[in-house]
Amino acid sequence: MPARDSDVSAAPAIELVGVHKSYGKLAAVRELDLAVPQGTIFGLLGPNGAGKTTTLRMIMDIIAPDAGTVRFFGRPRSPEDLRRIGYLPEERGLYPKMSVFEQLLFLARLRGLSRREATLRIDRWLERVELAAWRDRKVEELSKGMQQKIQLVGTVIHEPDVLVLDEPFSGLDPINQGLFKDLLTDYRARGRAILFSTHVMEQAEKLCDHLCLISGGRAVLEGTLGEIRQRYGGISYRVEVAGDLARVASLPGIEQATPQNGGLKILLTPQADPAAVLRSMLELVEVREFRRESPELEEIFIRAVREAG
Amino acid sequence: MTLPGNNTLIIAQREYLARVRSKGFWLATVALPLALAAFGVLPSLLLMRSDATHRLVIVDVTGRLGDEVRRELTGGEAREVVDAVTPAGGDGARADFEIELLGEFDRGDLNRRVLAGDIDAWILIDDASLEEDQIRYYAESVSNFFTQERIENAVSAAVRAWRLEAAGYDADEVGALARPLDLAAVKVTPEGEKEEGVAAGIVLAYFLFFTLYLLLVIYGQQVMNGVIEEKSSRIVEVIVSTARPFELMLGKLVGICSVALTQLGIWMATVIVLTLPGVVAAIAWIPQGTTLPTLGPGLALHLLINFLLGFFLFCSLYAAIGAAFNSVQEAQHFAVVVVAFLVLPVLLFWKVLNDPDGGISVVTSMIPLFTPLLMMLRLVVKAPPAWQVAVAYLLTAAFTWALVWFSSRVYRVGILMYGKKPTLRELWRWVRYA
Repeated sequence: MPARDSDVSAAPAIELVGVHKSYGKLAAVRELDLAVPQGTIFGLLGPNGAGKTTTLRMIMDIIAPDAGTVRFFGRPRSPEDLRRIGYLPEERGLYPKMSVFEQLLFLARLRGLSRREATLRIDRWLERVELAAWRDRKVEELSKGMQQKIQLVGTVIHEPDVLVLDEPFSGLDPINQGLFKDLLTDYRARGRAILFSTHVMEQAEKLCDHLCLISGGRAVLEGTLGEIRQRYGGISYRVEVAGDLARVASLPGIEQATPQNGGLKILLTPQADPAAVLRSMLELVEVREFRRESPELEEIFIRAVREAG
Repeated sequence: MTLPGNNTLIIAQREYLARVRSKGFWLATVALPLALAAFGVLPSLLLMRSDATHRLVIVDVTGRLGDEVRRELTGGEAREVVDAVTPAGGDGARADFEIELLGEFDRGDLNRRVLAGDIDAWILIDDASLEEDQIRYYAESVSNFFTQERIENAVSAAVRAWRLEAAGYDADEVGALARPLDLAAVKVTPEGEKEEGVAAGIVLAYFLFFTLYLLLVIYGQQVMNGVIEEKSSRIVEVIVSTARPFELMLGKLVGICSVALTQLGIWMATVIVLTLPGVVAAIAWIPQGTTLPTLGPGLALHLLINFLLGFFLFCSLYAAIGAAFNSVQEAQHFAVVVVAFLVLPVLLFWKVLNDPDGGISVVTSMIPLFTPLLMMLRLVVKAPPAWQVAVAYLLTAAFTWALVWFSSRVYRVGILMYGKKPTLRELWRWVRYA
């Protein structure tokens, strides 16, 4: 970990404390606290319009928060810190008329690299993503997938300590998705921090150590994947019965019942006692199976969003 | 606004190289002066040169003047002295006349011939017209000033000669005595007297004024398009994650400004080379003895100041407009407003040229939006009082600073806004909350 003297060694790479931002009357982000530990992949999840992009833009100082602070390795983030972050916005692109090399050189120099150092790294990276032959071609001649690779290289060319990626997987072809995932896990293995936003739960489930779900600008759920599962784990059951399914679904304590693989998938209300539900079920129908299931993240989140109102 | 740093330079450098390396830049560098020269010379050529033969019927009821008018127009045996008194039109105005002389006439028949295209026009010289000092020209088209002016001069000359002779004078002798004089313009400057033809003065004013005008219009548009391109190619957010939006805007302005200065520099160098004494003599088409206008170092400095003021004033506006909209088409509606402020000085060009110290010239040249063009024009024509120049520059600099500030706020918010067009009220909110 290439830490600086001023960095607090155990502090979160990025920390938001009471961050608030509104546009006119609309509050985009409300009193948000967030901590991205070093050496983790942190997923910022939420439906469209939840405030993910606004949050990331505030971290990057593109938008100033109305209240609250953004901390970087345990101290208030300074403008120089921005060069230690690799940022990939949701709206991303390249200058179509510039050559691949010139383009990357420009981005690298903006991030504080010397021309010499930048040239070395660009050539190394172009080899790695198999685009060395395209070095002096104009960006507009590249396929979309190649352009995505160049964007990725542009994001990490200065070896940032932290990656901040806004919907990094949207629009990626499968090859580049793999490239991104490798890069993310590689970064984590080197003790760095990655914060990325997505509205696709599957990706978050596979990649992230930490998750934060925001909805309506508020954090509604936060923790490691295990914590979240455990907290909500007891409420989803798989049931197979012989008899009237509709009567089962209307039993007290069952919030939701969906037919699945010839059986039922039921979600219990948080107050419900699973044993009591099973007993009342036995009075109605013949129960062949009643098994606790680890709920999918998506279900947990839909529920959390609904409860948060 | 924080102080711009290294980022501004990196951005300016990218902007500069990307543009100077393009073919468009070199094309414009060659084409613009040619276009400017063409715009200056062509209209007068087109107006003056009427190639077609003008078929004219002269109806002379008096029987005394027709022959003389015909001689004047066809140049046959026109009297030299009379020519000297009333030089007929410009050099290029020698349309050929095909003249039919009638002693009596049938108005209806002549008008029919005009409409049938058989003749172009007819004029009527009778006693009444001599008393009224007015002859009438009948034609389908009456907008051919130069032809009409020649006919008017020819008839005037004929009538004058006839009247002089009728009064007992010798027309030739009177003509010689009444010959006109030339006015040779000598420009008085702090550096001393400078003999400079009126034409040379106008040429210099014309070229400096319109070069400045074109640079502002063209590069303003380029700034706007550049900002929109960065927005639509979605590169802008990648850049503003390490550079402040203000640095990006300033870098863009500085870079494009350097491109314009490079172009201006190439033109000036070309002019200096072309006006070296030896070179002038070698260019055959410049008439001998022509005094070419020269651009002194003082004027060159003012040109630079006015260009820089005008560039940052207008281009920061263009940058804000580019940032606020998503496509060139959308932005164009707003850009027209900016262009209007550039066009107004063009409408005042002749006014200021003729009367550089008049009320209108003084007032308009001190309004910041017009200063860059109109103060430049006044400086070329006649050095204005120093305090007026100083006040105009200070006002414009202050105004430009305010505009850059305003524009940077619109820019800061606008570059991240995609989707619908902002309303004026939303723009105002951007400025307040940025």
